[in-house]
Amino acid sequence: MTKETVIEVQKQFEEALRNAPDPRSLEEVRNAFLGRKGKIAGLFSLMGEIPPDIRKSVGQMLNELKENLSGQLERREAEFGSKKSAGEWVDYSLPGYVLHKGSRHPLTRAVDDMLSIFQRLGFDIAYGPEVETDWYNFESLNFPPDHPARDMQDTFYTEGGGVLRTHTSPVQTRYMSAHEPPVRIVAPGRVFRNEAISARSYCLFHQIEGLYVDKDITFSDLKGTIELFCRMYYGKDVKMKFRTSFFPFTEPSAEVDISCFLCGGKGCRVCKQSGWLEVMGCGMVDPNVLKAVNYDPEKYTGYAFGLGVERMLMMRLGINDIRILFENDVEFLRQF
Amino acid sequence: MIVSIDWLKDYIDIDIPLEELAEKLTVAGLECVLKEAGKSVPAGVVVGRVLDKKAHPDADTLSVCTVDTGSGEPLNIVCGAPNVAAGQIVPVATIGTYLSPDFQIKKATLRGIESQGMICAEDELGLGGDHAGIMVLSDDHQVGTPFSDYFPSHKILDIDITANRPDAMSHWGVAREIAAITGKTFRKAPVRLEEKGPDIHSLARVTVAAPEGCPRYTARVIEGVHIAPSPAWLRERLEACGLRSVNNVVDASNYVLMETGHPLHTFDFDKLEGKMINVRFAAAGEKFETLDHKERELSADMLLICDEKKPLALAGIMGGTLSEVDEDTVSVLIESAYFDPATIRKGSKQEQISTDASKRFERGTDPNGTLAYAQDRLASLILDLAGGTLAKGMIDIYPHPAEMREVTLHADYVTRVTGIGITIPECRQILTALDFEPVREDAASLTVKVPTFRPDVEREIDLVEEVLRINYLDKIPSMARMTLSVAEDYDKFHPFITDLRNFFVGHGMHEAVNNSLVGETTAHAGIWGYKPLRILNPLSLEMNMLRTDMIQPLLTSLRSNALKKRSNIRLFELANVIEKDEHSETGAREHHHLGVLCCSPLWGLNWTEEDKAADIFYLKGVLDDLMTTLGFNYKLKECEGRDEFDILYDIVVKKHVIGKIGQYRRDAFEKLQLAYPVAVMELQIEKLFGWYAPQRKYSPTPQFPSIFRDISLVTDKKLKAVSILNEINQHGGKYLVDLVLYDMYIDDKKLGEDKKALSFRLEFRSDQTTLTDSEIDDVMNKLFERLKNQYGAQLR
Repeated sequence: MTKETVIEVQKQFEEALRNAPDPRSLEEVRNAFLGRKGKIAGLFSLMGEIPPDIRKSVGQMLNELKENLSGQLERREAEFGSKKSAGEWVDYSLPGYVLHKGSRHPLTRAVDDMLSIFQRLGFDIAYGPEVETDWYNFESLNFPPDHPARDMQDTFYTEGGGVLRTHTSPVQTRYMSAHEPPVRIVAPGRVFRNEAISARSYCLFHQIEGLYVDKDITFSDLKGTIELFCRMYYGKDVKMKFRTSFFPFTEPSAEVDISCFLCGGKGCRVCKQSGWLEVMGCGMVDPNVLKAVNYDPEKYTGYAFGLGVERMLMMRLGINDIRILFENDVEFLRQF
Repeated sequence: MIVSIDWLKDYIDIDIPLEELAEKLTVAGLECVLKEAGKSVPAGVVVGRVLDKKAHPDADTLSVCTVDTGSGEPLNIVCGAPNVAAGQIVPVATIGTYLSPDFQIKKATLRGIESQGMICAEDELGLGGDHAGIMVLSDDHQVGTPFSDYFPSHKILDIDITANRPDAMSHWGVAREIAAITGKTFRKAPVRLEEKGPDIHSLARVTVAAPEGCPRYTARVIEGVHIAPSPAWLRERLEACGLRSVNNVVDASNYVLMETGHPLHTFDFDKLEGKMINVRFAAAGEKFETLDHKERELSADMLLICDEKKPLALAGIMGGTLSEVDEDTVSVLIESAYFDPATIRKGSKQEQISTDASKRFERGTDPNGTLAYAQDRLASLILDLAGGTLAKGMIDIYPHPAEMREVTLHADYVTRVTGIGITIPECRQILTALDFEPVREDAASLTVKVPTFRPDVEREIDLVEEVLRINYLDKIPSMARMTLSVAEDYDKFHPFITDLRNFFVGHGMHEAVNNSLVGETTAHAGIWGYKPLRILNPLSLEMNMLRTDMIQPLLTSLRSNALKKRSNIRLFELANVIEKDEHSETGAREHHHLGVLCCSPLWGLNWTEEDKAADIFYLKGVLDDLMTTLGFNYKLKECEGRDEFDILYDIVVKKHVIGKIGQYRRDAFEKLQLAYPVAVMELQIEKLFGWYAPQRKYSPTPQFPSIFRDISLVTDKKLKAVSILNEINQHGGKYLVDLVLYDMYIDDKKLGEDKKALSFRLEFRSDQTTLTDSEIDDVMNKLFERLKNQYGAQLR
């Protein structure tokens, strides 16, 4: 290896550099000369054949050459702009990174959707315990002891005299006991029923309770509020029907049916061909409930309503076995 | 409850379409569906007459009949029934008839003789269980007509009666509703009684030793009855309502029950020792065998109907075997009584018997008019159906007759509740149709007497409901009042937990909802060591306690997912855990908790990175992110003695333990063959919420450049990285703003077996000035000296 060899390589390099029109060809030049199998590397690999006495000076010469070429290349690259975009070919057809997708549970999501509508209608959110006293869960709500109305709700009793609340209605009397009227709240939460677990029923489900007590609250206000809620949640074309029912804590009491959102009221499997779906119970707060919390029924009236979340959700999603909502199968959860 | 339209028409004219009627009843509070009931006989079965019967030449048990089915040529039918005879009218299944989906009648040859159909027994037509012989029909069946013509279908209303309306559990009650809705008049069947027998007081005696359980008891006696099957009309009506026909006396009693709603009982009078009835409470532990042949041990608050010596019936609930009316009965005593609803309910709950009678008594029957009518009505029906002689008079023990309540309804109250004006005459019209008796009336108010069959109507508000439900429910306009929320302070908890939920969803986790009810083992395994609260009447032993932590139920979810071979299991849940607390009014204390569980790769299969687990280090990162987001400083403190964990920390904020974070040992889940470690975390949300101050002050953004310094240290392998991190943080000086451990390197050959290399990047910055290299060099040198002295760290 002689000095000529070095000069020759340098010449070749400079020519190639001049002829490189774009960053990509510049990269080719880099590979051809400075790459792992490039010309410089080739020269270094011949070092073993150089006689020991001049090996050091040849090595130095090659190093200088390498630095020289790198410097020229870098200056040229800088002229072309950024080094990176200039450089390697990227396969942009590679798929995006596989990320984990999180999800809200459809139940708590449905609860939140409903709550946000009621909040827009001016209701605040309140809470109550899941283990309740008999007084709040039943007596304050006008369920006398040993009354058949208690059979409407199969109850779990806990040691220490409590019950697992069978509905969110005790939040009504809890909240009123602690606040002066007017009150205007919605209360979401878990409720429990001592019923055998099957595709149709589970031992717990979610309810949303509503309560508005003030001077001059009428059934007409109740109807209007429910109607607004149903339009906002089920769509503006939904039709509504009130029919008389019985709850110990409201009088008069009614159930609300809406036109089936799947078939539009024509009749289908979900609405059992009736065209209607039962969505909530409601009514005017019974004077006995107001008395139980020391509100004067001569002065105040109010309405209350309660709706079950699971049933609606199941109809919406086409779920026919309620248990899937509590199994937490990730293949179910990731669909939402 | 089922009422028959045909039967209803005895009491009310119905001239609106039945679908409309059902709809209107539903709106008024009797939720009902219009249905068809009745027996259906397969098409192809016709009425035939046996013209001739000969013995089969080759079979002793078969006969060959010629049967006229009105189709011209008589049919040749081979029949195996012993009772077939010439001249009989019989049902005949002709060729092609499907008696059941997989049983079609075909032409067949039986022992050499062709048979062109089949003469049917009751069970073959689905009409009953009798297979002793063919059905023999009465002469009023016309030969050649389809047999199904004799089984007209009944239109029925299937009604879901709410717990407050015992009065509506009868044809009367429904007819009365229809009267109020349609304006037609409700009429009762008149009863005329012939009392030809001796004075009842000479025959029987009644004492009521428990007047609080039985405020009224009436009895009549009929002697010389003939027990027989009921006539067709009675059977049909009862069967349409879903009742089974027994005999004429029992059926008559059920008929009056379905008619008036008042439950009655008939005793075989001859079986009453002492010819007397005594109503008393049971002695505790007293034994009694009910009609369902169950021996029951009674408690002292159960009411019994007895004779002189023995109990005969659980009052208002179920009769006993000893005094049952059967085919040998000659005399009957009819009981029509009023029992205290709470007493009956307790008894029915305790013995777990719910009967047509108990359902009505526990809701409250009418002690006055209906009770007396039902007594007379049943007596007259039995006389009609079973003959006999009715004793003169009725025993009637009724010391304190119930008065009709007077309630006043004010027009302005109606408006206050409903939002619309309804005039007093309009109210009167509706209430009168429902059998309320107007007492006084002026333009502003109306006073009515409430009929004693309406125990649910006690107050003015109840009258408002009556008026509303009959005619005005759909006439009230919708007028939502749009005031602002009137709460003193808006709820901030819900936005807080919504943020938390979104945070974890953002970290790629699925929100879970687990059952609050768990088994004993799970409840006791709770990570906080809370005392679990027990459920006294659990559905099963797997659900007899309330969960005491979030992690155990999430582990249950992990198991069920693992068994289904699911991967990427990353779950979080926000809910209450419950702790037993004798001092609380509910016996429990509830805590809002958040649980997290990961058993998942960090990334999943990707083309760039090697696969890592979303393990404890991942979860520590998530926790760090969460705490930064919420603005809390926290420390981790190692928990001792938790063998099931590789590592478990207390999460400490403001010196309170507010959470746990850890990773289970691999062998804790050996059977599940999990591909990744199980990392878990649980946080007490209420404490965090209590401290959370959403409006933190902003920090000015940096104005001066940072200086970065990297330092690689070689230390003992078992030195905890956190020691060095703490040391650097504490002694890094006031300009140290960030510290990252960015590399850990272990190489036994290069570093030595007991060594590891840790690389840190430190960021220094001042708010006031641009720092100089020499200032920072100084800090770094001192830091290194410290680390060298304290931990024997060497520069790498």
